[in-house]
Amino acid sequence: MLAIGSISKRERRLILTQYAFLAPQLILFLGLTIIPFFVAIPMLFTDQASFTDAQVNPVGLNNFTAIFRDASIQDEYLPALRRTVVFVAMNFVMIYLFGLSLALLLYEVGFHSSFFTVVYLPLMASGIALGSIAVMLFARGTGTLNLMAQALGVVKEPFDIYTPVGTGILLPLLAGWRWAGFNMAIFLSGLLTIPKETIEASIVDGASYWQRLIRVYFPQMWPSFILASTMCLIGSWSAFDELVAIGALYNNPEAKFLSIVFFTYGFQINRLSLGMTLALETFLPLTLVGIALQWLQRRLQYY
Amino acid sequence: MAQSLVIDSPQAPTRRALSMTQRRRLLKGFAAVFMVIYAILTLFPFYALLVRSFVSTKDAVDLHLWIPKADELSLDAQIGNLSVFYSLDMAKFKADMGIPPDAFLMSRTSLRTIAQKYNIPEDKLKSYFAGYYTFNGWITLLNDSEFWGSLARTILLVCASLIGIIVLSIFTGYGLAGLRRRDQMAIYNLYLLQMVIPSMLIILPQFMVIQRLQGLFPGSEQPGMLRWVLQFVGLIMINIKGTALSTMIMTSAISGIPQDLQDSAQIDGASHWQYIRYILFPLLKVPVVSLIVIMLPLFWNLFLEPYVYLDPNVGTLMPLTYSMQGAYRTNFQMMYASVLASIIPLALVYLVFRRFFIHGVMSGAIKG
Repeated sequence: MLAIGSISKRERRLILTQYAFLAPQLILFLGLTIIPFFVAIPMLFTDQASFTDAQVNPVGLNNFTAIFRDASIQDEYLPALRRTVVFVAMNFVMIYLFGLSLALLLYEVGFHSSFFTVVYLPLMASGIALGSIAVMLFARGTGTLNLMAQALGVVKEPFDIYTPVGTGILLPLLAGWRWAGFNMAIFLSGLLTIPKETIEASIVDGASYWQRLIRVYFPQMWPSFILASTMCLIGSWSAFDELVAIGALYNNPEAKFLSIVFFTYGFQINRLSLGMTLALETFLPLTLVGIALQWLQRRLQYY
Repeated sequence: MAQSLVIDSPQAPTRRALSMTQRRRLLKGFAAVFMVIYAILTLFPFYALLVRSFVSTKDAVDLHLWIPKADELSLDAQIGNLSVFYSLDMAKFKADMGIPPDAFLMSRTSLRTIAQKYNIPEDKLKSYFAGYYTFNGWITLLNDSEFWGSLARTILLVCASLIGIIVLSIFTGYGLAGLRRRDQMAIYNLYLLQMVIPSMLIILPQFMVIQRLQGLFPGSEQPGMLRWVLQFVGLIMINIKGTALSTMIMTSAISGIPQDLQDSAQIDGASHWQYIRYILFPLLKVPVVSLIVIMLPLFWNLFLEPYVYLDPNVGTLMPLTYSMQGAYRTNFQMMYASVLASIIPLALVYLVFRRFFIHGVMSGAIKG
């Protein structure tokens, strides 16, 4: 009896020590990621305009219904939503266009570390640099690629980063360039976990490359697909730096995505509580989708 | 049917085998060509950035694939244009040329007029401006004390954040490893949430929390050392608060280490701290390298948080690079030099330690 008691006491102390070790990071994590949500909830029902607003009145559910009633907010929100959705969709195409095809290439012809080094290099450029590079390459009159295309006579109309094509196609293209190495690593590690026997068996059975791809590789790569998709989904919905670098906060209306709208509401034009509510209405469904995807990924990984 | 198989069989295998090796070789050749082309395309934006940091605003409407040979400075150049398009530092120019600092130079005044008015030999002017058309972007940038200050602050921030996240993530992994499975998964899943919470969703409430924390310290409103330290600590806290990836990497690495090791260390009288420091840490080299190579670019390239939390005069490199895009809108050389300068330090680290990066990213990706 005494012995059992002392063991459990020792065990309890051990568990407390374990918690003491994981506490510092957990407190920071909860305090800066989870708790801010709950701190913000009461504010969503007020008209608090800025972080230092002294006159705060309750407004009920007005912030939540504003998007459905207020035409001026719809005029800002809906085009931003459209731009964001196009951007996200194009980014999806890009992670597979760049990441998956490069991973398949390296998987088939063998790992070349010097090639990997080059492909991964653009990730060292920041979002700000990405936006500036986009301007440098695709500004209407001075973009290097525009001038090259003109010199070669391949395009009639020069590209322009400050148009819907700029933020809908050119920017995702550069984002694909930047993230190519990272996505390639995710897909390549997925490919490397495929048991060799299944591939050899399919070759012996005379499967063509496409058949092997569709029937053998892809079904075993679902965890990688979901991981890359989750990261792309969450990352590109809150894309910010590259947009700021092409003038989103000042003179480029085409770069006004949802993230820019929420940011300006909070930090620039005194619509703090409304901005927070809109962000919640937009991103909460997205977060739930992300959680579902994560759950799915781990389910698939265990098989 | 059976007959035709028998007839075909003597030829078919050889033809097939030959075409297989041929196809294999063709594939290799095609892949090699593709990889070279793709590598060139990948490097091209960096190359263009380098060239453009030497191409003046005036020449930007022409295609330059190599650093253009700039015209010699004309003495008819107007001082206003030199200051707008080449960021000529007027105060320094006056001091170097012996012009009284309070002398007002109209922007339309040409260098020739100035030379005559203040008795400056033309050769002196010409040698002063030698290379200025080509190199003024880099000259202006490298003479900018704000650039060096923000570079130093960025390095400090990155180093502190890396050390912090390594130590805290090891603690987290160690703490989680000793818990019951159910508690372990509950905390682990909390960290996984980080991956699906968009940063834009929490930036506004997070700003509020950090502001309130800083408000606890009297005197944090006035500019000064205390304010700067508080802002910096806030930023580091955000960096080291733990991510899905850091938790995944460390937890899976630490739970893979046999329990016997800890038991025998305990029997020998090692404390938790000694066990972590002398036994666990040396075994965690691979996950630590993974964590560093994944986090380093993220910390270095951080823009939103420093932009929001740090006062502009004590900011880091990315906010400065951004503000320079606005401040030097008329000087393309300076704009692109500042962008390239923000990439070069990190790119150099990457190229020197590329082996660790490749290894770390690949093993990190497998964990994810």
